[in-house]
Amino acid sequence: MMTYIVFILSVIFVVSFVGFSSKPSPIYGGLVLIVSGGVGCGIIMNFGGSFLGLMVFLIYLGGMLVVFGYTTAMATEQYPEVWVSNTTVMGVFLLGLLMEVMLVLYVLKSEEVGVVFKFSGVGDWAIYDTGDSGVFSEEIMGVAALYSYGAWVVIVTGWSLLVGVLVILEVTRGG
Amino acid sequence: MNPLIFTTILMTVLLGTMIVMMSSHWLMIWIGFEMNLLAIIPILMKKYNPRTMEASTKYFLTQATASMLLMMAIIINLMHSGQWTITKVFNPTASIIMTSALAMKLGLTPFHFWVPEVTQGISLTSGLILLTWQKLAPMSILYQISPSINLNILLTMAVLSILVGGWGGLNQTQLRKIMAYSSIAHMGWMTAVLVYNPTLTMLNMLIYIMMTLTMFMLFIHSSSTTTLSLSHTWNKTPLITTLILITLLSMGGLPPLSGFMPKWMIIQELTKNSSIILPTLMAIMALLNLYFYMRLTYSTSLTMFPSTNNMKMKWQFETKRITLLPPLIVMSSLLLPLTPMLSILD
Repeated sequence: MMTYIVFILSVIFVVSFVGFSSKPSPIYGGLVLIVSGGVGCGIIMNFGGSFLGLMVFLIYLGGMLVVFGYTTAMATEQYPEVWVSNTTVMGVFLLGLLMEVMLVLYVLKSEEVGVVFKFSGVGDWAIYDTGDSGVFSEEIMGVAALYSYGAWVVIVTGWSLLVGVLVILEVTRGG
Repeated sequence: MNPLIFTTILMTVLLGTMIVMMSSHWLMIWIGFEMNLLAIIPILMKKYNPRTMEASTKYFLTQATASMLLMMAIIINLMHSGQWTITKVFNPTASIIMTSALAMKLGLTPFHFWVPEVTQGISLTSGLILLTWQKLAPMSILYQISPSINLNILLTMAVLSILVGGWGGLNQTQLRKIMAYSSIAHMGWMTAVLVYNPTLTMLNMLIYIMMTLTMFMLFIHSSSTTTLSLSHTWNKTPLITTLILITLLSMGGLPPLSGFMPKWMIIQELTKNSSIILPTLMAIMALLNLYFYMRLTYSTSLTMFPSTNNMKMKWQFETKRITLLPPLIVMSSLLLPLTPMLSILD
Protein backbone atom coordinates (compact mmCIF):
# COMPACT_ATOMS: atom_id res chain seq x y z
CA MET A 1 0.00 0.00 0.00
CA MET A 2 2.81 2.37 0.74
CA THR A 3 3.91 2.33 -2.87
CA TYR A 4 0.51 3.61 -3.90
CA ILE A 5 0.03 6.01 -0.98
CA VAL A 6 0.18 9.09 -3.22
CA PHE A 7 -2.55 7.65 -5.44
CA ILE A 8 -4.78 6.93 -2.44
CA LEU A 9 -4.19 10.38 -1.00
CA SER A 10 -4.96 11.97 -4.37
CA VAL A 11 -8.27 10.11 -4.53
CA ILE A 12 -9.21 11.30 -1.03
CA PHE A 13 -8.14 14.81 -2.10
CA VAL A 14 -10.48 14.78 -5.10
CA VAL A 15 -13.35 13.30 -3.06
CA SER A 16 -13.08 16.05 -0.45
CA PHE A 17 -13.02 18.65 -3.23
CA VAL A 18 -16.22 17.11 -4.57
CA GLY A 19 -17.54 17.36 -1.02
CA PHE A 20 -17.27 21.11 -0.83
CA SER A 21 -17.95 21.79 -4.50
CA SER A 22 -21.43 20.34 -4.07
CA LYS A 23 -22.06 23.38 -1.93
CA PRO A 24 -23.30 22.48 1.51
CA SER A 25 -23.27 25.23 4.09
CA PRO A 26 -19.82 26.91 4.45
CA ILE A 27 -19.26 25.32 7.85
CA TYR A 28 -19.33 21.86 6.31
CA GLY A 29 -17.26 23.13 3.42
CA GLY A 30 -14.66 24.23 5.93
CA LEU A 31 -14.77 20.81 7.56
CA VAL A 32 -14.01 19.13 4.26
CA LEU A 33 -11.30 21.70 3.54
CA ILE A 34 -9.55 20.61 6.70
CA VAL A 35 -9.52 17.04 5.45
CA SER A 36 -8.31 18.09 2.02
CA GLY A 37 -5.62 20.29 3.56
CA GLY A 38 -4.36 17.44 5.67
CA VAL A 39 -4.36 15.06 2.74
CA GLY A 40 -2.62 17.62 0.54
CA CYS A 41 0.02 17.97 3.20
CA GLY A 42 0.46 14.20 3.06
CA ILE A 43 0.94 14.29 -0.70
CA ILE A 44 3.58 17.00 -0.48
CA MET A 45 5.37 15.18 2.32
CA ASN A 46 5.59 12.04 0.26
CA PHE A 47 7.60 13.98 -2.31
CA GLY A 48 10.06 15.05 0.37
CA GLY A 49 8.62 18.42 1.16
CA SER A 50 8.17 18.21 4.91
CA PHE A 51 8.63 21.94 5.41
CA LEU A 52 5.95 22.89 2.90
CA GLY A 53 3.53 20.29 4.27
CA LEU A 54 3.87 21.67 7.78
CA MET A 55 3.46 25.14 6.28
CA VAL A 56 0.09 24.01 4.87
CA PHE A 57 -1.01 22.84 8.30
CA LEU A 58 0.22 25.88 10.13
CA ILE A 59 -0.68 28.78 7.84
CA TYR A 60 -3.52 27.41 5.74
CA LEU A 61 -5.35 25.26 8.27
CA GLY A 62 -4.22 26.95 11.43
CA GLY A 63 -4.44 30.52 10.22
CA MET A 64 -6.70 31.10 7.27
CA LEU A 65 -9.19 28.32 7.90
CA VAL A 66 -9.53 29.23 11.59
CA VAL A 67 -10.41 32.81 10.66
CA PHE A 68 -12.78 31.51 8.00
CA GLY A 69 -14.42 29.20 10.54
CA TYR A 70 -14.91 32.03 13.02
CA THR A 71 -16.47 34.38 10.46
CA THR A 72 -18.71 31.61 9.13
CA ALA A 73 -19.81 30.75 12.66
CA MET A 74 -20.80 34.36 13.17
CA ALA A 75 -22.77 34.50 9.93
CA THR A 76 -24.33 31.05 9.90
CA GLU A 77 -28.03 30.25 9.67
CA GLN A 78 -30.15 28.23 12.04
CA TYR A 79 -30.33 25.03 9.99
CA PRO A 80 -27.26 24.85 7.77
CA GLU A 81 -27.35 22.59 4.76
CA VAL A 82 -25.62 19.24 4.95
CA TRP A 83 -24.96 16.91 2.06
CA VAL A 84 -28.05 14.81 2.84
CA SER A 85 -30.48 17.60 3.60
CA ASN A 86 -30.97 18.90 0.08
CA THR A 87 -31.66 16.70 -2.94
CA THR A 88 -29.57 18.83 -5.25
CA VAL A 89 -26.53 18.84 -3.00
CA MET A 90 -26.73 15.11 -2.43
CA GLY A 91 -27.21 14.51 -6.15
CA VAL A 92 -24.16 16.52 -7.10
CA PHE A 93 -22.07 14.90 -4.39
CA LEU A 94 -23.04 11.41 -5.50
CA LEU A 95 -22.43 12.31 -9.13
CA GLY A 96 -18.95 13.55 -8.31
CA LEU A 97 -18.25 10.43 -6.24
CA LEU A 98 -19.46 8.24 -9.08
CA MET A 99 -17.21 9.99 -11.59
CA GLU A 100 -14.23 9.65 -9.29
CA VAL A 101 -14.91 5.94 -8.69
CA MET A 102 -15.20 5.33 -12.42
CA LEU A 103 -11.95 7.20 -13.04
CA VAL A 104 -10.17 5.18 -10.36
CA LEU A 105 -11.44 1.91 -11.84
CA TYR A 106 -10.33 3.09 -15.30
CA VAL A 107 -6.84 3.84 -14.01
CA LEU A 108 -6.61 0.58 -12.09
CA LYS A 109 -7.84 -1.68 -14.86
CA SER A 110 -6.26 -0.31 -18.00
CA GLU A 111 -2.64 -0.25 -18.95
CA GLU A 112 -2.51 3.30 -20.11
CA VAL A 113 -4.73 6.30 -19.52
CA GLY A 114 -4.45 8.94 -22.19
CA VAL A 115 -6.90 11.79 -21.52
CA VAL A 116 -4.71 14.85 -21.89
CA PHE A 117 -1.59 13.31 -20.46
CA LYS A 118 -0.49 9.73 -20.69
CA PHE A 119 -0.41 7.80 -17.44
CA SER A 120 0.80 4.24 -17.63
CA GLY A 121 -1.17 2.69 -14.79
CA VAL A 122 -1.01 3.29 -11.08
CA GLY A 123 2.73 2.95 -11.07
CA ASP A 124 3.07 6.50 -12.34
CA TRP A 125 2.13 7.79 -8.90
CA ALA A 126 4.78 5.77 -7.06
CA ILE A 127 7.71 7.85 -5.99
CA TYR A 128 11.16 7.10 -7.26
CA ASP A 129 14.28 8.81 -6.17
CA THR A 130 15.32 10.53 -9.36
CA GLY A 131 16.76 13.65 -7.89
CA ASP A 132 20.32 14.54 -8.68
CA SER A 133 20.41 17.22 -6.05
CA GLY A 134 22.61 15.08 -3.89
CA VAL A 135 22.27 15.57 -0.18
CA PHE A 136 20.19 18.74 -0.40
CA SER A 137 16.43 18.69 -0.12
CA GLU A 138 14.86 20.22 -3.21
CA GLU A 139 12.06 21.98 -1.45
CA ILE A 140 14.29 23.79 0.99
CA MET A 141 16.40 24.88 -1.98
CA GLY A 142 13.18 26.16 -3.55
CA VAL A 143 12.27 28.16 -0.47
CA ALA A 144 15.78 29.58 -0.33
CA ALA A 145 15.60 30.50 -4.00
CA LEU A 146 12.30 32.30 -3.39
CA TYR A 147 13.99 34.68 -1.00
CA SER A 148 17.11 35.23 -3.10
CA TYR A 149 16.51 35.02 -6.85
CA GLY A 150 12.77 35.28 -6.47
CA ALA A 151 12.68 38.56 -4.56
CA TRP A 152 10.41 40.05 -7.21
CA VAL A 153 7.86 37.26 -6.59
CA VAL A 154 7.92 38.03 -2.87
CA ILE A 155 7.33 41.73 -3.58
CA VAL A 156 4.47 41.04 -6.01
CA THR A 157 2.71 38.52 -3.78
CA GLY A 158 3.15 40.71 -0.72
CA TRP A 159 1.68 43.67 -2.58
CA SER A 160 -1.20 41.53 -3.85
CA LEU A 161 -2.05 40.47 -0.31
CA LEU A 162 -1.98 44.07 0.92
CA VAL A 163 -4.15 45.26 -1.95
CA GLY A 164 -6.47 42.30 -1.32
CA VAL A 165 -7.09 43.56 2.19
CA LEU A 166 -7.64 47.13 0.94
CA VAL A 167 -10.07 45.93 -1.75
CA ILE A 168 -12.08 43.84 0.71
CA LEU A 169 -12.30 46.75 3.13
CA GLU A 170 -13.45 49.07 0.36
CA VAL A 171 -16.03 46.65 -0.98
CA THR A 172 -17.57 45.85 2.41
CA ARG A 173 -17.49 49.44 3.59
CA GLY A 174 -19.74 50.51 0.73
CA GLY A 175 -20.58 54.11 -0.03
CA MET B 1 -13.72 56.52 -1.69
CA ASN B 2 -10.74 57.73 0.31
CA PRO B 3 -8.46 59.37 -2.32
CA LEU B 4 -5.34 57.64 -1.04
CA ILE B 5 -6.93 54.20 -1.22
CA PHE B 6 -8.38 54.99 -4.63
CA THR B 7 -4.98 55.99 -5.95
CA THR B 8 -3.39 52.85 -4.50
CA ILE B 9 -6.00 50.60 -6.08
CA LEU B 10 -5.76 52.38 -9.45
CA MET B 11 -1.99 52.04 -9.40
CA THR B 12 -2.40 48.33 -8.63
CA VAL B 13 -4.56 47.93 -11.72
CA LEU B 14 -1.75 49.53 -13.73
CA LEU B 15 0.84 47.37 -11.97
CA GLY B 16 -1.12 44.20 -12.72
CA THR B 17 -1.25 44.94 -16.43
CA MET B 18 2.42 45.93 -16.46
CA ILE B 19 3.38 42.65 -14.77
CA VAL B 20 1.41 40.72 -17.39
CA MET B 21 3.04 42.56 -20.26
CA MET B 22 6.60 42.44 -18.90
CA SER B 23 6.92 38.94 -17.46
CA SER B 24 8.55 35.96 -19.10
CA HIS B 25 7.41 33.41 -16.51
CA TRP B 26 3.91 32.04 -16.90
CA LEU B 27 3.22 32.11 -13.15
CA MET B 28 4.02 35.82 -12.93
CA ILE B 29 1.66 36.47 -15.82
CA TRP B 30 -1.11 34.65 -13.98
CA ILE B 31 -0.34 36.63 -10.81
CA GLY B 32 -0.53 39.84 -12.86
CA PHE B 33 -3.97 38.90 -14.19
CA GLU B 34 -5.22 38.14 -10.69
CA MET B 35 -3.83 41.39 -9.29
CA ASN B 36 -5.53 43.29 -12.11
CA LEU B 37 -8.86 41.55 -11.47
CA LEU B 38 -8.72 42.02 -7.71
CA ALA B 39 -7.94 45.72 -7.90
CA ILE B 40 -10.49 46.66 -10.53
CA ILE B 41 -13.45 45.37 -8.49
CA PRO B 42 -13.70 48.46 -6.21
CA ILE B 43 -13.25 50.69 -9.24
CA LEU B 44 -16.25 49.03 -10.88
CA MET B 45 -18.15 49.49 -7.62
CA LYS B 46 -17.39 53.17 -7.21
CA LYS B 47 -21.07 54.05 -6.96
CA TYR B 48 -22.60 51.84 -4.34
CA ASN B 49 -25.93 50.51 -5.66
CA PRO B 50 -27.22 47.00 -6.53
CA ARG B 51 -26.53 47.41 -10.26
CA THR B 52 -22.82 48.01 -9.81
CA MET B 53 -22.56 45.20 -7.30
CA GLU B 54 -24.20 42.81 -9.73
CA ALA B 55 -22.00 43.99 -12.59
CA SER B 56 -18.84 43.60 -10.48
CA THR B 57 -19.89 40.11 -9.42
CA LYS B 58 -20.51 39.05 -13.01
CA TYR B 59 -17.15 40.48 -14.09
CA PHE B 60 -15.35 38.76 -11.22
CA LEU B 61 -16.93 35.36 -11.90
CA THR B 62 -16.17 35.34 -15.63
CA GLN B 63 -12.62 36.62 -15.24
CA ALA B 64 -11.87 34.19 -12.40
CA THR B 65 -13.07 31.29 -14.56
CA ALA B 66 -10.83 32.54 -17.37
CA SER B 67 -7.87 32.70 -14.96
CA MET B 68 -8.56 29.12 -13.87
CA LEU B 69 -8.53 27.96 -17.48
CA LEU B 70 -5.33 29.91 -18.07
CA MET B 71 -3.68 28.22 -15.09
CA MET B 72 -4.73 24.81 -16.38
CA ALA B 73 -3.26 25.58 -19.79
CA ILE B 74 -0.05 26.80 -18.14
CA ILE B 75 0.29 23.56 -16.17
CA ILE B 76 -0.41 21.39 -19.22
CA ASN B 77 2.27 23.38 -21.05
CA LEU B 78 4.62 22.78 -18.11
CA MET B 79 3.95 19.07 -18.17
CA HIS B 80 4.73 18.77 -21.85
CA SER B 81 7.68 21.13 -22.09
CA GLY B 82 9.19 21.18 -18.62
CA GLN B 83 9.74 24.91 -18.51
CA TRP B 84 7.89 28.07 -17.71
CA THR B 85 9.01 30.60 -20.34
CA ILE B 86 6.45 32.24 -22.53
CA THR B 87 7.95 31.66 -25.96
CA LYS B 88 5.84 28.96 -27.47
CA VAL B 89 3.00 26.78 -26.26
CA PHE B 90 4.19 23.25 -26.76
CA ASN B 91 0.94 21.32 -26.76
CA PRO B 92 -2.15 21.84 -28.96
CA THR B 93 -4.53 21.18 -26.06
CA ALA B 94 -2.82 23.78 -23.92
CA SER B 95 -2.92 26.23 -26.81
CA ILE B 96 -6.65 25.78 -27.33
CA ILE B 97 -7.41 26.12 -23.61
CA MET B 98 -5.21 29.20 -23.39
CA THR B 99 -6.88 30.81 -26.41
CA SER B 100 -10.31 30.16 -24.88
CA ALA B 101 -9.22 31.63 -21.56
CA LEU B 102 -7.87 34.79 -23.18
CA ALA B 103 -11.00 35.05 -25.34
CA MET B 104 -13.07 34.95 -22.17
CA LYS B 105 -10.99 37.77 -20.76
CA LEU B 106 -11.35 39.86 -23.91
CA GLY B 107 -15.04 39.26 -24.47
CA LEU B 108 -14.87 37.37 -27.78
CA THR B 109 -17.80 35.27 -28.90
CA PRO B 110 -18.92 32.79 -27.56
CA PHE B 111 -17.79 34.33 -24.26
CA HIS B 112 -19.16 37.79 -24.95
CA PHE B 113 -22.29 37.72 -22.81
CA TRP B 114 -20.76 39.50 -19.85
CA VAL B 115 -19.59 42.59 -21.78
CA PRO B 116 -22.89 44.45 -22.31
CA GLU B 117 -24.26 43.55 -18.90
CA VAL B 118 -21.16 44.58 -16.98
CA THR B 119 -20.63 47.77 -19.01
CA GLN B 120 -24.24 48.80 -18.48
CA GLY B 121 -24.15 48.34 -14.73
CA ILE B 122 -21.18 50.59 -13.98
CA SER B 123 -20.50 54.29 -14.31
CA LEU B 124 -19.15 55.83 -17.52
CA THR B 125 -15.60 56.29 -16.20
CA SER B 126 -15.40 52.73 -14.92
CA GLY B 127 -16.78 51.51 -18.23
CA LEU B 128 -14.04 53.45 -19.96
CA ILE B 129 -11.33 51.70 -17.94
CA LEU B 130 -13.03 48.34 -18.47
CA LEU B 131 -13.25 48.61 -22.25
CA THR B 132 -9.82 50.09 -22.92
CA TRP B 133 -7.22 49.31 -20.28
CA GLN B 134 -8.45 45.81 -19.45
CA LYS B 135 -8.04 44.71 -23.05
CA LEU B 136 -4.31 45.42 -23.08
CA ALA B 137 -3.17 42.54 -20.89
CA PRO B 138 -4.93 39.62 -22.64
CA MET B 139 -4.07 41.03 -26.07
CA SER B 140 -0.40 41.21 -25.13
CA ILE B 141 -0.42 37.53 -24.18
CA LEU B 142 -2.22 36.61 -27.42
CA TYR B 143 0.45 38.56 -29.28
CA GLN B 144 3.22 36.63 -27.56
CA ILE B 145 1.73 33.19 -28.19
CA SER B 146 0.45 34.03 -31.69
CA PRO B 147 2.66 31.49 -33.55
CA SER B 148 1.12 28.65 -31.52
CA ILE B 149 -2.55 29.56 -31.77
CA ASN B 150 -4.93 27.21 -33.55
CA LEU B 151 -6.05 29.17 -36.60
CA ASN B 152 -9.50 27.62 -36.97
CA ILE B 153 -10.61 28.39 -33.44
CA LEU B 154 -9.31 31.93 -33.43
CA LEU B 155 -10.78 32.85 -36.81
CA THR B 156 -14.14 31.31 -35.89
CA MET B 157 -14.23 33.33 -32.69
CA ALA B 158 -13.17 36.48 -34.52
CA VAL B 159 -15.76 36.27 -37.28
CA LEU B 160 -18.54 35.37 -34.85
CA SER B 161 -17.52 38.30 -32.64
CA ILE B 162 -17.78 40.72 -35.53
CA LEU B 163 -21.21 39.33 -36.33
CA VAL B 164 -22.43 39.39 -32.74
CA GLY B 165 -20.96 42.82 -32.09
CA GLY B 166 -22.73 44.25 -35.10
CA TRP B 167 -25.99 42.37 -34.78
CA GLY B 168 -26.36 42.67 -31.02
CA GLY B 169 -25.84 46.42 -31.02
CA LEU B 170 -28.71 47.03 -33.41
CA ASN B 171 -31.44 46.97 -30.78
CA GLN B 172 -29.72 49.14 -28.19
CA THR B 173 -30.47 52.67 -27.08
CA GLN B 174 -28.26 52.70 -24.01
CA LEU B 175 -24.91 54.19 -24.92
CA ARG B 176 -22.86 51.93 -22.66
CA LYS B 177 -24.31 48.81 -24.25
CA ILE B 178 -23.62 50.27 -27.69
CA MET B 179 -19.99 50.81 -26.71
CA ALA B 180 -19.83 47.25 -25.31
CA TYR B 181 -21.05 45.70 -28.56
CA SER B 182 -18.67 47.96 -30.46
CA SER B 183 -15.87 46.61 -28.28
CA ILE B 184 -16.86 43.01 -29.07
CA ALA B 185 -16.77 43.74 -32.81
CA HIS B 186 -13.41 45.50 -32.63
CA MET B 187 -11.90 42.66 -30.66
CA GLY B 188 -13.08 40.39 -33.45
CA TRP B 189 -11.23 42.47 -36.04
CA MET B 190 -8.11 42.49 -33.90
CA THR B 191 -7.94 38.77 -33.39
CA ALA B 192 -8.77 37.98 -37.01
CA VAL B 193 -5.40 39.27 -38.21
CA LEU B 194 -3.42 38.09 -35.18
CA VAL B 195 -2.06 34.96 -36.81
CA TYR B 196 -1.17 36.68 -40.07
CA ASN B 197 0.42 39.93 -38.92
CA PRO B 198 0.35 40.70 -35.17
CA THR B 199 1.60 44.24 -35.74
CA LEU B 200 -1.76 45.12 -37.27
CA THR B 201 -3.45 43.79 -34.15
CA MET B 202 -1.45 46.29 -32.13
CA LEU B 203 -2.27 49.07 -34.61
CA ASN B 204 -5.97 48.27 -34.39
CA MET B 205 -5.75 48.17 -30.58
CA LEU B 206 -4.11 51.59 -30.51
CA ILE B 207 -6.64 53.24 -32.79
CA TYR B 208 -9.55 51.47 -31.07
CA ILE B 209 -8.40 52.69 -27.65
CA MET B 210 -8.09 56.25 -28.92
CA MET B 211 -11.56 56.20 -30.48
CA THR B 212 -13.23 54.55 -27.48
CA LEU B 213 -11.49 56.98 -25.13
CA THR B 214 -12.79 59.89 -27.21
CA MET B 215 -16.34 58.54 -27.34
CA PHE B 216 -16.51 57.91 -23.61
CA MET B 217 -15.11 61.34 -22.83
CA LEU B 218 -17.67 62.98 -25.09
CA PHE B 219 -20.38 61.02 -23.26
CA ILE B 220 -18.95 62.03 -19.89
CA HIS B 221 -18.79 65.65 -20.99
CA SER B 222 -22.45 65.70 -21.89
CA SER B 223 -23.38 63.40 -18.94
CA SER B 224 -25.48 61.26 -21.24
CA THR B 225 -26.01 57.52 -21.03
CA THR B 226 -28.96 57.10 -23.40
CA THR B 227 -29.55 58.01 -27.01
CA LEU B 228 -32.32 60.38 -26.01
CA SER B 229 -30.06 62.18 -23.57
CA LEU B 230 -27.30 62.39 -26.16
CA SER B 231 -29.70 63.94 -28.65
CA HIS B 232 -29.98 67.03 -26.46
CA THR B 233 -26.36 68.08 -26.78
CA TRP B 234 -27.18 70.43 -29.66
CA ASN B 235 -28.72 72.70 -27.10
CA LYS B 236 -25.82 72.63 -24.67
CA THR B 237 -22.60 72.41 -26.71
CA PRO B 238 -23.06 72.34 -30.47
CA LEU B 239 -19.34 71.77 -30.96
CA ILE B 240 -19.51 68.50 -29.02
CA THR B 241 -22.38 67.49 -31.26
CA THR B 242 -20.20 67.88 -34.35
CA LEU B 243 -17.32 66.02 -32.73
CA ILE B 244 -19.65 63.14 -31.80
CA LEU B 245 -20.54 62.89 -35.47
CA ILE B 246 -16.91 62.76 -36.58
CA THR B 247 -15.79 60.28 -33.92
CA LEU B 248 -18.72 57.94 -34.48
CA LEU B 249 -18.10 57.83 -38.21
CA SER B 250 -14.44 57.14 -37.47
CA MET B 251 -15.46 54.22 -35.27
CA GLY B 252 -17.59 52.92 -38.11
CA GLY B 253 -14.51 52.72 -40.27
CA LEU B 254 -15.24 55.32 -42.89
CA PRO B 255 -12.46 56.95 -44.88
CA PRO B 256 -10.99 59.61 -44.68
CA LEU B 257 -11.07 59.21 -40.90
CA SER B 258 -8.56 57.24 -38.81
CA GLY B 259 -10.90 54.37 -38.13
CA PHE B 260 -10.51 53.31 -41.72
CA MET B 261 -6.79 52.66 -41.33
CA PRO B 262 -6.90 49.43 -39.29
CA LYS B 263 -9.75 47.94 -41.33
CA TRP B 264 -7.98 48.73 -44.58
CA MET B 265 -4.69 47.26 -43.40
CA ILE B 266 -6.38 44.15 -42.01
CA ILE B 267 -8.31 43.48 -45.21
CA GLN B 268 -5.14 44.02 -47.23
CA GLU B 269 -3.17 41.63 -45.04
CA LEU B 270 -5.85 38.97 -45.21
CA THR B 271 -6.11 39.16 -48.99
CA LYS B 272 -2.31 38.98 -49.28
CA ASN B 273 -2.61 35.63 -47.49
CA SER B 274 -5.10 34.40 -50.11
CA SER B 275 -8.25 34.48 -48.04
CA ILE B 276 -10.92 36.36 -49.96
CA ILE B 277 -14.23 35.22 -48.48
CA LEU B 278 -13.21 36.01 -44.92
CA PRO B 279 -12.39 39.71 -45.32
CA THR B 280 -15.44 40.16 -47.55
CA LEU B 281 -17.65 38.74 -44.80
CA MET B 282 -15.90 40.84 -42.18
CA ALA B 283 -16.33 44.03 -44.19
CA ILE B 284 -20.00 43.31 -44.80
CA MET B 285 -20.62 42.61 -41.12
CA ALA B 286 -18.90 45.86 -40.19
CA LEU B 287 -21.79 47.56 -41.94
CA LEU B 288 -24.05 46.46 -39.08
CA ASN B 289 -21.79 48.39 -36.74
CA LEU B 290 -21.88 51.39 -39.01
CA TYR B 291 -25.66 51.29 -39.01
CA PHE B 292 -26.10 51.87 -35.33
CA TYR B 293 -23.34 54.47 -35.23
CA MET B 294 -25.15 56.31 -38.00
CA ARG B 295 -28.40 56.03 -36.10
CA LEU B 296 -26.68 57.75 -33.15
CA THR B 297 -25.32 60.50 -35.39
CA TYR B 298 -28.73 60.93 -37.00
CA SER B 299 -30.46 61.50 -33.69
CA THR B 300 -27.64 63.59 -32.26
CA SER B 301 -26.00 65.74 -34.90
CA LEU B 302 -28.02 65.55 -38.08
CA THR B 303 -31.51 66.20 -36.77
CA MET B 304 -33.09 67.96 -33.83
CA PHE B 305 -34.57 64.87 -32.24
CA PRO B 306 -38.16 65.36 -31.05
CA SER B 307 -38.56 65.93 -27.33
CA THR B 308 -40.79 67.87 -25.03
CA ASN B 309 -39.93 71.50 -24.49
CA ASN B 310 -38.88 71.18 -20.87
CA MET B 311 -36.41 68.47 -21.74
CA LYS B 312 -34.53 70.66 -24.18
CA MET B 313 -32.59 72.43 -21.48
CA LYS B 314 -30.07 69.94 -20.17
CA TRP B 315 -28.88 70.87 -16.73
CA GLN B 316 -25.83 69.74 -14.82
CA PHE B 317 -23.84 71.07 -11.91
CA GLU B 318 -20.91 72.60 -13.75
CA THR B 319 -19.10 72.03 -16.99
CA LYS B 320 -16.83 69.04 -16.67
CA ARG B 321 -13.26 69.67 -17.62
CA ILE B 322 -12.10 66.71 -19.69
CA THR B 323 -8.35 66.37 -19.92
CA LEU B 324 -6.83 65.93 -23.36
CA LEU B 325 -10.11 65.84 -25.21
CA PRO B 326 -9.00 67.98 -28.19
CA PRO B 327 -5.82 65.99 -28.93
CA LEU B 328 -7.80 62.75 -28.64
CA ILE B 329 -10.41 63.98 -31.07
CA VAL B 330 -7.76 65.06 -33.53
CA MET B 331 -5.94 61.73 -33.26
CA SER B 332 -9.08 59.66 -33.60
CA SER B 333 -10.16 61.36 -36.79
CA LEU B 334 -7.19 62.71 -38.71
CA LEU B 335 -4.58 59.98 -38.64
CA LEU B 336 -5.34 58.36 -41.97
CA PRO B 337 -2.77 60.32 -44.08
CA LEU B 338 -0.05 58.89 -41.82
CA THR B 339 -0.66 55.36 -43.07
CA PRO B 340 2.55 55.20 -45.19
CA MET B 341 4.45 55.59 -41.95
CA LEU B 342 3.41 52.05 -41.06
CA SER B 343 6.16 50.81 -43.35
CA ILE B 344 8.67 51.63 -40.64
CA LEU B 345 7.23 48.80 -38.50
CA ASP B 346 9.50 45.78 -39.14
